[in-house]
Amino acid sequence: MLLRLQGAILAALLLAAPAAAQDAYTIGLTGALTGPPASTYAPAVEALRLYVDGVNAAGGIAGKKINLILQDDSAEPGKATANAKKLLTQDNVLLLLNASLSSTFAPVVAEAKRAGVPVLFASSVCPKEVYPPADPLQFCTTAFASTYDSRATLAFIKETAKEPVKIGFSAMAIPLSRAEMDFAEQQAPALGMSVVDKEVIPPPTPDYTPFATKLKDAGANWVFSWAPWVTQVRTLEALRRLDWKGDYIAWAHIEAEGELARLKDASFYVIGANALFQDQLPIHQEIAKAAKSTKLTYPVEQLTEGWIAGMVVEAALKATGWPATPEKLAAAMSTLKVDTKGLRGGPIEWTKDNHFRTRQYYRVYRWDSGKGAIQQVKDWTAFDVK
Amino acid sequence: MQLAVNIVVLTAIYALIACGYVLIYRVSRVLNLAHGELLMLSAYLLLWTASLFAGHAVAAIAAALGLSVAVGAMVYLFLLRKLTGEMALAAVLTTVALGVLLRGVTVIVWSAQQQYPAVPLGLANWAFALPGGARISLWAALLVATTLAVYASLFAFLRLGRWGMRMRAAGQNPLLAAQRGINLHAIYALAWSLSTLTGALAGVLIALDSGLGQTMAIIGLKAFPAALVGGLDSLAGALLGSLIIASAEVFLIHYVDPLLSEVIPFLVLIVVLTLRPWGLLGTREELDRV
Repeated sequence: MLLRLQGAILAALLLAAPAAAQDAYTIGLTGALTGPPASTYAPAVEALRLYVDGVNAAGGIAGKKINLILQDDSAEPGKATANAKKLLTQDNVLLLLNASLSSTFAPVVAEAKRAGVPVLFASSVCPKEVYPPADPLQFCTTAFASTYDSRATLAFIKETAKEPVKIGFSAMAIPLSRAEMDFAEQQAPALGMSVVDKEVIPPPTPDYTPFATKLKDAGANWVFSWAPWVTQVRTLEALRRLDWKGDYIAWAHIEAEGELARLKDASFYVIGANALFQDQLPIHQEIAKAAKSTKLTYPVEQLTEGWIAGMVVEAALKATGWPATPEKLAAAMSTLKVDTKGLRGGPIEWTKDNHFRTRQYYRVYRWDSGKGAIQQVKDWTAFDVK
Repeated sequence: MQLAVNIVVLTAIYALIACGYVLIYRVSRVLNLAHGELLMLSAYLLLWTASLFAGHAVAAIAAALGLSVAVGAMVYLFLLRKLTGEMALAAVLTTVALGVLLRGVTVIVWSAQQQYPAVPLGLANWAFALPGGARISLWAALLVATTLAVYASLFAFLRLGRWGMRMRAAGQNPLLAAQRGINLHAIYALAWSLSTLTGALAGVLIALDSGLGQTMAIIGLKAFPAALVGGLDSLAGALLGSLIIASAEVFLIHYVDPLLSEVIPFLVLIVVLTLRPWGLLGTREELDRV
């Protein structure tokens, strides 16, 4: 009798779990929560979880909670494939998010396409399929954008430089970073800059000094680096130890704000698409308040990227309505416009052909030695994405 | 002149890491493929001791090194002791598993973000001007000095010290050494402790120089070709192998293509192993035994 009762309770619990999940918007993420590149992705995933927790605590979307399932792929394509299969076939997710290296994209997208489920790249680099003409099932919220970032950076250097620019580039030996620096190298001469050197640095490198020595010896007075943060900042530090006095500009990854304060280098600029916390916007206070309510692994200033992804997910699910299907969600995402409340220079707006954003905005910061604080050097500059 | 300094610093990094591989292999014929992760763990331990001894750099560094020595001994006592006398492959696979475990543990405990233990310790990284217009950072200079001191101490210990001679005896013929009353387990535990200590010195100094993150484990593996080129059972070989590989890397970065620095250690390794499979200063009979 007792055994029969236990069996009945177990069966009831097993039936109740999927029923609860079906009464929520179930979305899944495969991301590099561990592994060498995790520092780029894990903070964004933590912020996304924080945002979704906040939405659920406030009652969800029209009374339906968001069930966010996180899977670690350690930036390994094999694990990402297994995660995608599990999320799509067992958890029946409406939306698949990717926060990992670009090497995981192909298998994840292939699995999602088979299932007809949209993929959102959040903190991982935006693939070319999200730019016009966009793939119907691929979307991206990540701040950085290949080629546009280089155009904005070179335009800033041209505007800022007080003497003829002799520019050097620093890339990590990964396809994306190399391609971007190759693009910048091609663009620079048209802006009147002399390209003196380009260093493609293997990851990881125990000592960046040999690469920095070459940049310095080449006579660069500006160095531009578009690479994972570790390559950007260690090249700069190696250059400074060699007594190099030039200006250095790098992409404002999520680590940028903390690192500007650590380095206190007035000739080190970061260019990015996210507003730093030093801007003290109301939305920053909102993020900080949410962060205080729970124990976080990462500093609050690293949460912006994932918070924006959370805003977009919430808006997309709201636009989809209930009951939601992947098809309805993909259709809603194709005409989505999300107010980022100042975290970006403008809204994230997707159209049928453009799943990146119609306008990309850039802001530049550096350390102000006089004030002992981060200083905004150049306010939002917009570039149309065509 | 700067090129020469760059070669010396890179040689010192590789040599300090490579001697850890040699110490364990020479005594127990085990390739420790978790050496990079143990090195990384030591750097993270410094981060922990830095928070405990904020502002007391010497105490924090000494505590981190002491803990690393204890970790090395524990790895042997709890993981590898039972594999003594079994196939070397079983021990090697155990070190692979240990490496995976350590990578996971460090992310869980310290997160994946870049860390800078020099910051809580209040340590700056000055750069010094050298003759000929070259420059070297404080921590890089200390790393070179530490490598020289470690190698001098190890040579003296292995040639003149009682325990050093026991280690050599255990490495040459463990059965005979055991019959002569040498406690093999104590010798192996000592070798693991010393190996982890040398790795810890490298990890701590690299972390103080340029910070630490999950990629540090891979830096440990980059020194592996240097140990193989020199001969896995030769400390002098590890030094020579490191010099050859560091020189090749720095010259290729400066004069040919920086990308080649990634492949040159393995190219040198293939050439050396083709011509002299036991390494430049390794022992031929050791290879036959393997």
